[in-house]
Amino acid sequence: MVASVLAFAASAMAQTPVDSLATDNSDFAFTESQLDEDNDALQVVPSVAAKNDPYLQNVGFRFSSMRFKVRAYDNQYQTTYINGLQFSDAERGSFNYSMVGGLNDATRNREGLDGYEFNNYGIMGIGGGSSINMRASQIAQGNKVALSACNRNYVGRVMYTHGTGILNNGWAFAGSVGYRGAPMGWGNVEGTFYNGFSYYLAAEKLFNQNNSLSLVTFGTPTERAQQGASTEEAYWLAGSHYYNPNWGYQNGKKRNSRIVNSFDPTLIATWDWKNDDRSKALTTNFAFDYNLYSTTALGWGGDAYDPRPDYYKNLPSGIFDVYDETKNNPTWLEANPFALQQWNALVDYWQSDEANRQINWDRMYYVNSQSQNGEALYYLERRHSNQLNMALSSTFKHTIDQHQKYAAGVDFRHTTAMHYTTMADLLGADHFTDVSKFAVNDYGAGSDEAQVDLLHPNRQVKEGDIFNNHYELYINKAKAWANYQYTANMWQVLFAGHIDGTTLERNGLMENGLYKNNSYGSSGVAKFLGGGGKATVAFTPNVNHRLALNVSATSKAPLARNSFVAPRVQNNFVNNLTNEDVFTGDLSYNFRFGPFSGKVSAYAAYFENQVEQTAYYNDQQSTFTYLTMTGINKKHYGVEAAFEYQATQHLSFSLMGTIADAQYDNNPMAQVNYEGQRPAETAKLNTCLNPITGEKMPLQVIAKGMRVSGTPLTAASFAIKYNINYWFFEIDANYFGRSYLSFSPYRRLNSTYQTAGKFYTSSYVDANGNPDFGVSAEELEQNGGICFDQQGNVVETYAAGQEEFKGGFMLDASIGKSLRLKKGKTMSINLNLTNLTNNTNMKTGGYEQNRDDNYYTESGGVYTKGEGKAYKFSKNPKYYYAFPFNFFLNIGIKF
Amino acid sequence: MKKIFFLFAAAMMAFSMTSCLDQSEEPDVQDYTITASNIPAANTTIAAMKEKFSSQMSTNNTFKQVNEDIIFEGVVVGNDISGNLYQTVILRSIESTPGAADDQCIQLGIKNTFISPYFPLGQRLRVNLNGLYVGNYSKTPKVGQPYYTSAGNLRLGPMLFQMCGTNIQLVGKPNTNAPELTPLELSDDWFKDAKNQNYKNSPMLAKATGIIKEMQGNKAERPSTGELSGEKEPLPKIFAPKALYDAGYAVDRTLVTNAGEMTIRTSTQNDIAYLPLPADSRTYTGIFSFYSGWQIQLRDVDDIYPMIK
Repeated sequence: MVASVLAFAASAMAQTPVDSLATDNSDFAFTESQLDEDNDALQVVPSVAAKNDPYLQNVGFRFSSMRFKVRAYDNQYQTTYINGLQFSDAERGSFNYSMVGGLNDATRNREGLDGYEFNNYGIMGIGGGSSINMRASQIAQGNKVALSACNRNYVGRVMYTHGTGILNNGWAFAGSVGYRGAPMGWGNVEGTFYNGFSYYLAAEKLFNQNNSLSLVTFGTPTERAQQGASTEEAYWLAGSHYYNPNWGYQNGKKRNSRIVNSFDPTLIATWDWKNDDRSKALTTNFAFDYNLYSTTALGWGGDAYDPRPDYYKNLPSGIFDVYDETKNNPTWLEANPFALQQWNALVDYWQSDEANRQINWDRMYYVNSQSQNGEALYYLERRHSNQLNMALSSTFKHTIDQHQKYAAGVDFRHTTAMHYTTMADLLGADHFTDVSKFAVNDYGAGSDEAQVDLLHPNRQVKEGDIFNNHYELYINKAKAWANYQYTANMWQVLFAGHIDGTTLERNGLMENGLYKNNSYGSSGVAKFLGGGGKATVAFTPNVNHRLALNVSATSKAPLARNSFVAPRVQNNFVNNLTNEDVFTGDLSYNFRFGPFSGKVSAYAAYFENQVEQTAYYNDQQSTFTYLTMTGINKKHYGVEAAFEYQATQHLSFSLMGTIADAQYDNNPMAQVNYEGQRPAETAKLNTCLNPITGEKMPLQVIAKGMRVSGTPLTAASFAIKYNINYWFFEIDANYFGRSYLSFSPYRRLNSTYQTAGKFYTSSYVDANGNPDFGVSAEELEQNGGICFDQQGNVVETYAAGQEEFKGGFMLDASIGKSLRLKKGKTMSINLNLTNLTNNTNMKTGGYEQNRDDNYYTESGGVYTKGEGKAYKFSKNPKYYYAFPFNFFLNIGIKF
Repeated sequence: MKKIFFLFAAAMMAFSMTSCLDQSEEPDVQDYTITASNIPAANTTIAAMKEKFSSQMSTNNTFKQVNEDIIFEGVVVGNDISGNLYQTVILRSIESTPGAADDQCIQLGIKNTFISPYFPLGQRLRVNLNGLYVGNYSKTPKVGQPYYTSAGNLRLGPMLFQMCGTNIQLVGKPNTNAPELTPLELSDDWFKDAKNQNYKNSPMLAKATGIIKEMQGNKAERPSTGELSGEKEPLPKIFAPKALYDAGYAVDRTLVTNAGEMTIRTSTQNDIAYLPLPADSRTYTGIFSFYSGWQIQLRDVDDIYPMIK
């Protein structure tokens, strides 16, 4: 067994796969993974499929199984329009794909847009975007039924779509309904289910040659159970990367603790006007949507034991430090036999019964039943993030002549984001007393600080009641934009510009006991003025060659979700909150030499003053913590290429790929806020002391050199396509590499470095004048540190190393057949096979845990590092894995 | 148009049919247990067991693994209901004569932040020591498993929670009127007598009457400064202000009794910790143990009489 322990430490456990990614199908308007918004890991895939771009056209299909992000850009830099109206989420910045999930046919009329391309809708984000036309007249006349089977998040899908086309009376109607589902346990991840409906109804009236009015409504009420990430140790114990800690048995039946309910009913009214010769067009949109989104999570009060099955104290490696070679060796283990006994006991416990490694619902009910006054020790809460959105936009486009055209528009939108928590299930208890358990520990149950809402002290919460937090964010945006394009024989120039204004405000609906003066009511309004411009110069000597240079500069308001220091409990804006600036450049060459065509691009982007926020449980302060980074600078650069060789009429080969980099380029300022702590005490923890001068230093995250996570920075694909007699065959070999783990800002705070003894000072200077900091370069690069000279100046900073995932290959294949049936009916059959080699060790993402490896003692706000904990959080990040082999079979019939 | 109406009807039906998969029936947990069900009858008593392992019980911070079926029963007289006793259940001999030699207690350490729901006061337990360790933690006899403390010291700590499923069995239902729950009322001389200051009387459920030294005279207005925190305690004084925490995350207050000074030791961050320190004489019931003096750990706020309001 000693050997097994050593093996355990050395190999960090067996690895098998997990994940909930679905891929694409040629019958899809979006990649299926986008419409499967339900993936529980951060799900970002490219939505761009710009026309005439062989790279962007294929990148979504080929790379989505690894959650590839084009140029490693965040989703907020892509723009999605529906009927000409921008539909990006004002709070989070990105398009909410769940709002059109399962509406594949209704969203089929979709135009991919390059980030620098002229367009009639607005100014594209640097990541490009897409425009979906859902007007009734654009839905193909007739009926279509699509039946699908797969082994992904859901196992079955049925869709029916009908379009009337434009009737003689000028009306057009269209509609679509669909269902995607998987009963509990049928999906690819244990303990999950899927229950998603979708509808789309549209009517359009063409009054005359010049005017039409369109009305579209759609929604996708969905209920689904989530998968959770876990550590390698838990995966090893469970024998599967499909291990899902979110579910457990209740009354012998599986129950998942993380249920998402989403429904985003949307209404869009569009008035289109065109002049007689179609050279001018005006499109005016009004949209209203009410986004209902909630997710459940377990909660526990008082001293109740953490109910999560993979809580670190339940894991064998919580017994002793298996990563410490001075302990994980036969000598130490013989001297401390209890360590191995307990380790083995927990391994046996985990492996002897599946129920032992899942949530024990019955136990929570039992504990609640023992409560003397009906108080819930355990409960299930529902966290709501609803939005009311209203938008009005108008765009005017004018083709002046064969050389010139322009488009301009205005866009106004208002969002009220409503955040609150309700009691979903008291798990057999009578009520829950709404106090902050963190503040109760620090200030006592009778203190004002313990009160979540002083307006309703000690509120007795019943099922369905709001508790814990309740606030709204008001976001208003106004934008005016224009783009102009001039095309000559061989040259093309494009200029685009916009100006926008944004206001942000928080309205607290609870008066938190720790923030009596700035939690209830308005935060005040923060205003941001933004704008930007783009320019493109393209040289097109003939139709087979195009060389284009694109540049852009943009200043944009910070996202509302990152703008408040602790939005659940108080009104304060983040310090140093300012516009984010983005500068990009892109040089591309499109070509065709006979049967050989392709595109090569080089790009660079520089982001300044970004804001990012993370929230986590903090060990030292024993409370929920927000950590906000401001002033983040990042640089993204790389090359992309796509080549296609049309060998015969039926056979083609293509090769595409990218080599990129995306990294933090500075050490951003940081601000921490602890939910259960008085502001004065929090303020003390927002500085650290210079080891030489003793002066206060601002809090910073040592992030320089960290890579943007969650996407491969190297990807390549080779594909062979063959088609004959309406049969389609494709096989893709894809390589992914240089994906990185999401780093923990907390572990790289300069204050964390200080308490961990990672401030290094120079005791002497060598003969060459170089200071000696008494630490090896290897140690600095692995664990991080800050070096100070003898005057107390920072000489160099080192961010603790970031895990790079091992690269690997995936083999995908697809086969399709189109059939013409009698009476004009057609049928298409598509079968997609993903990850044919069943590569189960491809990490798609994950994150470091924000907890300390050591105990600390505090004196006067100064923390001193103590003994190491048995469990090493730094060695146990949580990961997501790409799906193993999976399929998607789709049969579509048009009649 | 008919199809459009059909689609509209289908959409409405779709909307009405959502949110129907996540439904679970409430389990019947009346007989739920985390403990074993097949432990043989007791073959010893707490007192006999302590005697058998007297060396490990009495030599500070020593312990030994038991590799045979040594089974005893006891009644839960102390647990972590308030959070003051951490990962701890105190078992007292059954049907022994109060205060007699066979009336002894033992501490069970169990690794869980809240074990009182499983082991309520008055619950009779049967414990099989086979595989567990017996010894003491700071001279308080204990059953558990070893661990390294946050200070790096090897101590007898709590047993894995999972061990409850093999080594502990509930016997009957909890009886809140069990005679074992009556605390010992011991004389001043008894406390003073060195013969009683040993492992046999640690831990024990008892009571003592006295006044809190820190609240007498002008001490009540003089805040102490924590050795570790460097901060002054807030006024008015409470049992266990965070500022005064020690290495065990607890605060000691001095109870002056006729039998001499005793220590009331209270963990920070629980209901007792925030109670105001009374200046007048009160009776304190709790788990008594002896290290270099008598120490009392209250089980709950109700252990102070008259109650503090």
